Amino acid sequence: MNSKLFSLCLVLALFTLSARAQQVPVIEKTLSNGMRLLLLPRHDEPTVAGGWVVHVGSANERPGITGIAHLFEHMMFKGTPTLGTKDFKKDVEIINEQERVRDLMRKEEANMRTLWRRGQIADLQNPDTWTARYKELQAQFKKLVDAQREILVKNEFDRIYTANGGSMMNAYTSHDVTVYFITVPANKLELWMWMESERLLRPVFREFYAERDVVFEERRMRTESTPTGRIEETFWAMFWESHPYSWPVVGWPSDIPAITKKQADEFYALYYAPQNLTTVLVGDFKVEEATALAEKYLGRIPRGKEEAPDVVTLEIKQPAEKRLDGDADTNPQVDIMWHTPAFGHPDTYALSVLAQILSTRTGRLYKGLVLSSKVATQAYAQQHTMRWASLFNVGGELTDGKLPVELEAGLLAEIEKVKTVDVPAEELQKVKNNFAAGEYRKLANNHAIMQALLRYDGLGRWQEINEAGPKLQAVTAADVRRVANTYLTKENRNVATIVRKAGKSASDDPDLAGLSPQQLPAVRQFLGRLKEQKSVEQLKTQLKQMEEQSGRADAKNQQFLNILKKKTAERIAELERK
Amino acid sequence: MNQTQITSLIACSVAAFCARAADIPNRPEMLKYPALNFSPPDAKQFRVALKAGPVAYVVPDRELPLVNISILVRTGDYLDPAGKEGLAGMTGYLLARGGSASKRAEDLEERLAFLAASLNSAVSDTQGSVSLNLLSKDLDEGFAMLREVLTAPRFQDDKLALRKQQSLQAMKQRNDDAADIEQRERRFLAYGDGFYFNRHSTQASLDSITRADLEAFHKRWFHPKNFVVAVNGDFDASAMTARLEKLFAAWPFTGEVPPPIPTDRKFAAPGVYVVDKEVNQGRVTLMLPGIQRDDPDYQAAQVMNDILGGGGFTSRIMNRVRSDEGLAYSAGSGFPGGVYHPMSFLAAFQSKSRTVAYATSIVLEEIKKIAAETVTDEELTTTKNQFIETFPRTFMTKGATAGAFASDEFTGRFAKDPDYWKNYRTKIDAVTKADVQRVAKKFLTADKMVILVVGTKEEILKGHPDHPVKLESLAGGRLVDQPLRDPLTMKPAAK
Repeated sequence: MNSKLFSLCLVLALFTLSARAQQVPVIEKTLSNGMRLLLLPRHDEPTVAGGWVVHVGSANERPGITGIAHLFEHMMFKGTPTLGTKDFKKDVEIINEQERVRDLMRKEEANMRTLWRRGQIADLQNPDTWTARYKELQAQFKKLVDAQREILVKNEFDRIYTANGGSMMNAYTSHDVTVYFITVPANKLELWMWMESERLLRPVFREFYAERDVVFEERRMRTESTPTGRIEETFWAMFWESHPYSWPVVGWPSDIPAITKKQADEFYALYYAPQNLTTVLVGDFKVEEATALAEKYLGRIPRGKEEAPDVVTLEIKQPAEKRLDGDADTNPQVDIMWHTPAFGHPDTYALSVLAQILSTRTGRLYKGLVLSSKVATQAYAQQHTMRWASLFNVGGELTDGKLPVELEAGLLAEIEKVKTVDVPAEELQKVKNNFAAGEYRKLANNHAIMQALLRYDGLGRWQEINEAGPKLQAVTAADVRRVANTYLTKENRNVATIVRKAGKSASDDPDLAGLSPQQLPAVRQFLGRLKEQKSVEQLKTQLKQMEEQSGRADAKNQQFLNILKKKTAERIAELERK
Repeated sequence: MNQTQITSLIACSVAAFCARAADIPNRPEMLKYPALNFSPPDAKQFRVALKAGPVAYVVPDRELPLVNISILVRTGDYLDPAGKEGLAGMTGYLLARGGSASKRAEDLEERLAFLAASLNSAVSDTQGSVSLNLLSKDLDEGFAMLREVLTAPRFQDDKLALRKQQSLQAMKQRNDDAADIEQRERRFLAYGDGFYFNRHSTQASLDSITRADLEAFHKRWFHPKNFVVAVNGDFDASAMTARLEKLFAAWPFTGEVPPPIPTDRKFAAPGVYVVDKEVNQGRVTLMLPGIQRDDPDYQAAQVMNDILGGGGFTSRIMNRVRSDEGLAYSAGSGFPGGVYHPMSFLAAFQSKSRTVAYATSIVLEEIKKIAAETVTDEELTTTKNQFIETFPRTFMTKGATAGAFASDEFTGRFAKDPDYWKNYRTKIDAVTKADVQRVAKKFLTADKMVILVVGTKEEILKGHPDHPVKLESLAGGRLVDQPLRDPLTMKPAAK
């Protein structure tokens, strides 16, 4: 009673607070070449955070050049005619000559792919199996790389920023966008303008082929040599059936080494045109000065001849649930994804509220599955809103001894509850209070605000930084229930269950340590059934049968049977205790 | 048509400032910048020695209606009793997560969540922390909860059981990711099996931890005389000081001052240590004994490391391993400077199995080169400028300012060198090319090099047909099998 009264007061208090919440007073301009400019002066630290978003991501690619948007993100640090080389004329000659050799290498790569299809080469990435012709061309190419190195000024772009106090310089590529950013001392705004406009106006893609290798190492690091990287990539590709979100941002392993410089040039001309870019500055500057500098520097980049095409392929409606059951070097886990609408759709706010109701330590998944039924040790939920299409995701890690099917059922039961009963007012208010406080927390520093503006602009509307708050506050219990019923359906669902790969480092139960990889899955299956078995009678009969069998078994099977007997006896003892 | 309209509109609005593109210089060096004067804030201006015991840094910031308080605690994993490894971490986690005298854990969590407040606690190697971030309107209630958590945590049994289960399951993942294995074995090789860094929790130590252990650990160390406080946000400084006095007054137990942090490290014998783990990319770390942060050579060592591999794309290791050869995505070096004892120098990268040996040889070459030859003027200037020009970022927010000062108080730097930040830029600026070479010679002693490799041993040892360098030949030719450890006992697994 008391607590109810109190929370009512709090609702009122928060209401006045959100009314006080500042709008982020962004000033929007459009330069003469179509580039958009978002400015937010803030004078509490002597820096300017500057970044730009290109409205191109892996969703704009096609099979054969997957990973090209991300490769660009790397190439944009390679310099210009004046930055990065001592002799631009010679540099161009060498780059052209490199392309000539690369054309020959590409022919040979096609030949090697044929040999691979016919089973004459086992692994295209193994240097021992490359053809003599290919190795010879490679040696030729290496000579050209060495010649170019003579006139290179290594990473000069980075060096100039570093020497001038630039920090946090980086870039990222997603399915939707490519984003570049840095923070500079407040007196170096003109340097920022010079550098960014220079690399956009006349980038030189030197060291293109070494950089492809770097990207391949990045793929190995992030995806191929991590415990769940490959299986997550597969689940993602399975989830998106027709949509170009299907392939990974880093690209397929066959495509990364096959991307040509010519393809890169075409991609650049189309997508890096100023009308496809938005620049964001947050920090200690004057709006008039920044605008004039932007027009002078960024405005000199000619408008692109063509407009970037829309992504036309829509995700096809799923006719039935899709499942992936795999194993990996990890604790068992369950992951469920549903298709939900794209950024800008009104239902995404109710879905975000729903995700918050399910997630966090006081959310329903943790309370229901970690604290109450103890089927999981961790649980999560999120609405992942993207530009062209979104997804809703729940999942968790199993408690030892529980089965994926138990966690899956538990997760789905929590979803059923929100579909059938309205979320109580106080629970909804708790979530909204956190969104309201987040309105302040997001304003922590220049860099954080710049990132938020770049992200929202990339999604399609920077004003979201001010508009999301009120929209989230307006979500009702009925909205939450409706979106759960609309999107979180069986036929719209994808389920991945991952269990620990048998054999290596599988010491999750010391009793199973001595078993062979062939025996392990059988024991695990047995243990799973044992958990379900509730009849002491039946278990005792089973135990008797095993004792008879063990008299006849050989040494190897003896150990196997001993484990089964031990576990059965333990289960009987457990049931009898209850 | 449309486009012309936009153009003319812009031309009007910025006409007054519109300079022509012809003024744009060819090179950025020709640009002129207005002066930027920055003086670091003075710690004394925010420092308050509370009557209740702790020193606090009180930094008001009225921009947003938020308050952030962080309490650093003199405790750490190094105080784990033998056989109860993991106790410090468990106490640290459950302090905020296990309820308090008047509130069950569930009720405390629910209330905090409703207020959109975040209360967290943790204990790491040599430090504990309890922090609260909340809306300033909730200060009374928030501080009451904070006081109760600090003085009378409940350490609820079911929360202890759950945390044990979560920790046990995390333990089972110890050998799953090559990066985790690398991280762990680095510390074994660079500090020795007996060093406090390497006293890992095991299934047995976890099992032995009881609620009584948590209560005893808490009462022993979580006392105001072991606290340093950082607080920033929406308040008046004197009002906040009064609040802090109240927060720490009349502590219900006395506690102890912890013993000094151990310094008895043992650096491994030179060699290449290989952990066999089936992945298609080898992870490599090259290590040397390292430096302590109050060493007079520390600034020169920072500049040297930045040129060698600490400075990202501007550094030599990145240039050669990544940009030249395309052998790795991330490659670089670190020379952290320990607070209580030297921390190791390390250089690290990841490369496909077959090029591990070649890339390692390049990194070794660069390490030797920076000790053998002086760096260029341009390298020195670039690096020094970077340290000097990015210096204001240390104090970029009020939270960062309060945090930096509290950390100095906690680690003793403020007492020892109160003008550290004031003199920071001058000291960096004084570093010469000769200094850089001298410290490289002194600290980058290639004959002591320990190289850790985690990856598919068989493939890595094959090397690459184009680069006939052998891993065995590096670091004195000593190749050692570093066995994986059993994740639940941390004993080296039999081969």
